[in-house]
Amino acid sequence: MTTDVEKFGTRNWGMIADLDKCTGCQACVLACQAENNIPINTEDRVERARSISWIRVERYWEGDFPDTKARFIPIMCQHCENAPCEPVCPVYASYHNSEGLNVQVYNRCVGTRYCANACPYIVRFFNYWDPVWPESLRNHLNPDVTIRSRGIMEKCSFCIQRINRTSRKAKSEGRELEDGEIQTACSAACGTHGIVFGDLNDPESRVSKLRNHKRAFTLLEQFGTDPNVIYLAKIDPNKKGSEEGHH
Amino acid sequence: MDLENKNKDHKSKSGNFKLPKLPIKLPKLPIKLPKPPPPPTHLGDVELPKTLMYLLPIGGLFTLAFVGAIGSFIITAWWGQPIPVLGFEQTFDQPINFPHTVHASTKQLDYKDADGNVMVGLGTDCTFCHRTVNKNTAAGANAYIPPVNFCANCHGVIGSEDNVQLNILRDAAGIIGDDGTSPINWRRVHRLPDHVRFVHEPHIRYLSANPEHIKGETDGVSTGPSAVCSTCHGNVASMEKVYQVEPLKMRQCVDCHRDNGAPTDCATCHH
Repeated sequence: MTTDVEKFGTRNWGMIADLDKCTGCQACVLACQAENNIPINTEDRVERARSISWIRVERYWEGDFPDTKARFIPIMCQHCENAPCEPVCPVYASYHNSEGLNVQVYNRCVGTRYCANACPYIVRFFNYWDPVWPESLRNHLNPDVTIRSRGIMEKCSFCIQRINRTSRKAKSEGRELEDGEIQTACSAACGTHGIVFGDLNDPESRVSKLRNHKRAFTLLEQFGTDPNVIYLAKIDPNKKGSEEGHH
Repeated sequence: MDLENKNKDHKSKSGNFKLPKLPIKLPKLPIKLPKPPPPPTHLGDVELPKTLMYLLPIGGLFTLAFVGAIGSFIITAWWGQPIPVLGFEQTFDQPINFPHTVHASTKQLDYKDADGNVMVGLGTDCTFCHRTVNKNTAAGANAYIPPVNFCANCHGVIGSEDNVQLNILRDAAGIIGDDGTSPINWRRVHRLPDHVRFVHEPHIRYLSANPEHIKGETDGVSTGPSAVCSTCHGNVASMEKVYQVEPLKMRQCVDCHRDNGAPTDCATCHH
């Protein structure tokens, strides 16, 4: 079974978020919340700026009144190739695996919060309290995802439980993974199919093709983090020159 | 005269015979060990009995032995299975004394059936009852224990009506008694450490394809998925009461993953 080992590490998971398709509906946020056992952000948690959402839709305004346009951009962990969060962790809880994922190992994490301070995208969240759910939601939790206890850091995992499960399924059926077979919770929930997930190392995959699109850009490029999440800029038919992203 | 003197000298020398010095010089300790304080003779104004002088060191020895016992327990539990004392046994009394021998073994048993004939194990495949174990589903993570009705499919008919253990099952399945059905609270024997996502299916698939890596022997069927279970679970088919054979610690997982070329990335198991 050496093929398994050879296969492991040859992939590089990446994501494309097409901002032109994003309507800001927050379905991805909700799907992520349900998939990954994220505690409910109650009012007092949000007030103290301690809410947890692995993916968030940021809204900003473009243009001057009365030609104002609402723009949306979903922001999740960018799974940077040069991740600023990784070298600062004293216990190697945050590390880069050979499939291009920035992995958070919950049982190593001691809660120094250095990584959250180092992250320029603000996508790492600290559990200040033990997560609680109302009794009615107890049986809705995903059994494939660890419930993070108090005092550890968490972030988007690119739905690694789905990656593992689907790869396992393909292997047990004795075939290669197909492109688009793995769906993260957010990409499955996106009503306009604006989020695409796949293998960036496979030149035939959708993400590899979209990566070289002329609208493609990455967030905070000047920091040299080399994210694996690539955005496609919004097309504005009324405005020339806006095809290049502003970020 | 000289001879006598010599003899005398020799005798006197042998009389003052000294032990030869050790070839090795023991190095002096870099710190001076403090002298133990003299045992207390008075507690306030009350004079303590002299027997206390003997009791105190005995008490100290007992304390040392106690601490040592706890220490050795922790160390053995850290590296392998804990010493089976004080509820740390690897086996439990189950609500029903379910004998795996009768169901899974293919050998002759100590049991006798109603007619007095010596029973031979049924030799059922493990996956006949633990159905999800080689399925790639979310529930396949655990080798599930079948619902009561599944047992009752056979035991509604098979087995004596006076069998106490079987009647517990029949009662739970609602065949006898009038309190309806109720699940049986089996106690879990094999429990992995926390934070591990273990799925049986890929392990069974790999070992079935590479039978040279299977460890242990089984009294049960040795073909199909059942042949590989003994690698981690031991010879379950020979157990009256199932107990944990392997410590199932991370070291064991990682060793086996390394030997067999499986990924040792953290996210393989911890996510």
